[in-house]
Amino acid sequence: MTQKDEGTTIADLNPNNKIIPTFCHGCGAAKPKCGILCHVVAGKFVRVEGNPEAFNNWGAGCTSLCAKGNTGPQFLYAPKRLQYPMKRAGDKGEGRFTRISWDEALETIAYKLKENKRKYGAESFGVLSPEIWPVLDTFGRRFLNVYGSPNYLHSALCATPRMAACKATIGFRSIAPDDWSKTKLIVNWGGNCENSGINLGQPNDILNALETGSKMIDIRPMLDPLGAKADVWLPVRPGTDGALALAILNIIINENLYDADFVEKWCYGFDKLAAYVQRNTPEWAENKTGIPADKIRLAARMMGTIKPSFIKIGNGVGDQTNDGTAVVSAICLISAITGNLDVPGGLLGGLPQVGAPLIKTNQIAKLNEKAPTDLVDKLVAPETPKWYQKMGFMPHGPTSAYYKALMSILSGKPYPLRVLNASCSNPLSATRNPRRVAEALKKLDFMFVADIYHASHVDYADIVLPACTSYEHSDQICIKNVKEGTWLGIYNKIIEPLGESRSDWQIYLDLAVKMGYGEDFWNGNMDACLREQLAPSGISLEELRNSPKGIFIKRTQPAPAPQYQRYTQLFKDLPHGKVQCYNEFLGGKDSCDGVSKLNYLPVYQGPPEGIAETPELLKEYPLVLSDVHAHRYSHHSFMQDVPYLREQQPYPWLKINPAAAKKYGIADGDWVRVESPHGWSKFKAEYFAGISPEVLMTKRGWWQGCDELGLPGYNEFDGGSEVNNLYNANEKLFDKFHSQMAKQTLVKISKIEEAQP
Amino acid sequence: MKRQYGFYFDSDRCIKCKACEVACKQWKGIKAGTIKLRRVEEVTSGVFPEVKRRFISISCEHCAQAPCITACPTGAIIKRPDGIVIVERDKCTGCRACLEACPFGAPQFGEDGLMQKCDMCLDRVENGQTPMCAATCPTQALRWGTLDRVSVFATHNALNKFAKNQ
Repeated sequence: MTQKDEGTTIADLNPNNKIIPTFCHGCGAAKPKCGILCHVVAGKFVRVEGNPEAFNNWGAGCTSLCAKGNTGPQFLYAPKRLQYPMKRAGDKGEGRFTRISWDEALETIAYKLKENKRKYGAESFGVLSPEIWPVLDTFGRRFLNVYGSPNYLHSALCATPRMAACKATIGFRSIAPDDWSKTKLIVNWGGNCENSGINLGQPNDILNALETGSKMIDIRPMLDPLGAKADVWLPVRPGTDGALALAILNIIINENLYDADFVEKWCYGFDKLAAYVQRNTPEWAENKTGIPADKIRLAARMMGTIKPSFIKIGNGVGDQTNDGTAVVSAICLISAITGNLDVPGGLLGGLPQVGAPLIKTNQIAKLNEKAPTDLVDKLVAPETPKWYQKMGFMPHGPTSAYYKALMSILSGKPYPLRVLNASCSNPLSATRNPRRVAEALKKLDFMFVADIYHASHVDYADIVLPACTSYEHSDQICIKNVKEGTWLGIYNKIIEPLGESRSDWQIYLDLAVKMGYGEDFWNGNMDACLREQLAPSGISLEELRNSPKGIFIKRTQPAPAPQYQRYTQLFKDLPHGKVQCYNEFLGGKDSCDGVSKLNYLPVYQGPPEGIAETPELLKEYPLVLSDVHAHRYSHHSFMQDVPYLREQQPYPWLKINPAAAKKYGIADGDWVRVESPHGWSKFKAEYFAGISPEVLMTKRGWWQGCDELGLPGYNEFDGGSEVNNLYNANEKLFDKFHSQMAKQTLVKISKIEEAQP
Repeated sequence: MKRQYGFYFDSDRCIKCKACEVACKQWKGIKAGTIKLRRVEEVTSGVFPEVKRRFISISCEHCAQAPCITACPTGAIIKRPDGIVIVERDKCTGCRACLEACPFGAPQFGEDGLMQKCDMCLDRVENGQTPMCAATCPTQALRWGTLDRVSVFATHNALNKFAKNQ
């Protein structure tokens, strides 16, 4: 039941104040989904609320926002905002800069880029990708293409590894059922939607389904808030989800709980899978996962008998384990053999079937035709195998793996990256092994950064450009196609950008013009680019800018009846046109390092250091450590400086079971030295009953201080508080298909006696 | 009798996201690290792996028979005809008798030592809008309306739970 506000309007509370609609970036640059109303009083952004016209969260009339969204003014006026272009004045990493003009900054970058291309070839320039950031995915790729480099350095820890493994196994990735209310069993496997996108609809949808009788299994190391509502919680040891998935397949197959008709018609190699998983008994998995065999049986029987079911595969299992491809494949096969593919309430193949968009817009073209034809062969560190990239399966074009590519700077193999655009992503916290990353940044010929904040990696840049926040530009449109119709909105600058900051869009255009690429970049005119995007809609830029509620076209024709079981279409790219129980799409083909071959079956690898995996190491390092990817009071490693958010988590926290803590003489609130075979960091113990006594969990990225609360930032190296400093970063152990890196290791802990800031 | 307003909170839908707590602060312009007119608390029970977690969003609940009103020696706290309990700060002496009396710990005392509490976002309510905390709740755990309207949510919720247990 949805709350409908009687009489809620966007009425101005005070005629002297302005209420300006735009979009929130609290979930990061990739998800500009929540429309907001910004209250500007005397030229200052003071308050924010959800825009009921913008189809946020559950849709029409919704005014909700998350905690991050509610901190807009503090985000905009952060004391550490970059406001002026700067050049480095001290040594790399030292953090001394001199203010310069925009012209000098852009001319320096353009000169270095041209010189680099002439001396070392275009491919020695790389750009860090923070996430599927619209600016980078369009202008950034366009710039790379025109310049001639393939090196878009993708993190290998975002959603694309999951997407790729799903596509390679069942032909598609499903992010939601067509209608949660039809789902009788929800399995949340490593998903974190109550942290990563609270206002994007899923928590509300899942709670609705639970209210009307759906069962739920939650598979995560911590009892997170949605897990606390589940019928069954499987507290899996971090990094061992593959063992759990194989044991569940074992039980479903051996107890004949699978859909024999579907398997017969649409699965390839089922017998080979059935024979293979005989070794993966629940007792075998208990030893790996720490979950009692009977509890695994209970969960497997639920998955085998309660239909329809939807398994939500989260970032924790697919993207942040070094066997993520096998884990995701195995989980997809559970859904497949139980007959839950493309059925009502199951894994929907494709987008929600709400009807065709009623407003058409142009995507910004990436100008792939301008790029050299041997782009994939020139990648410095292919994130996925070259054969796969050449098939055009990478959703954003060719990519190198972020960490591996940075390591080329140190190893020179196959060639070193020399110039880096490190914007909107802090590589000291966004990937593993910050010590080596810092060495690599120091060794670069040239690095430039466009960012909102003076992030810790900015200290290594040669030129720094100040980017403005999403509240300060009018350079992006947002379109939402929902069951009621299609809605189009546009960003509105609510105040002039602070200092000399400019939008990321405009920065790319300005740099392109300086490079002499003006013809391919609307001669630096952002409005011209927006007009090109709007062209097919018949809506002019002026009309859209003058429509504070956005433009909504109501659906008059009911959406066509939903289609299901579209297997011929969904499996068309898979060998034999079938689900790959025995994977011939991947199996026997080259891995991303070009050395080994990929597996046919979802073989369990497990974490590089683990309780069952490395018993010798366990003697010195008796506890498992991992971290949450996204968090509701920060955006990745950003927003620790926002006072309303930092007061919710003032210190780098370490969730620890009280029984385990007492064993090591650690009181609630003590500072703890956490040491792995790779480094040590310090965290503040937080007693938490909803975690196994053998597991510790934390959060990455504490480099920001919060001036208002007098709280410091903590660095990324030994003695700081960055969890990425503790993980195994041996590239040979990364996932062989999509370069995923483990974020699980073994640690020892001790109380720090000295007072800490 | 004039219609009365009230909050409705469903702990089964709360995921401790604290949007309500932060929304309240930003709307009211309250400095971080100081008072909380609304707060989210957790009750954890049990021992791993049999652990239960419950989340509760608490503010002034604008009681029908508000004990703070009875306790206040200066008559600074009043219940408006629409049910909203407000404090007239010019009459408050900061004696904290209201805090002693309140079962929810709602009265707050900031730098000036005088009582502050949730006024149900009077500025919004008088403008026909929902209080910020309920307007911002991403899971519809916290709702607001006239008492007959929120009682419909409660009935609906009770029926669902009954059906689920059948």
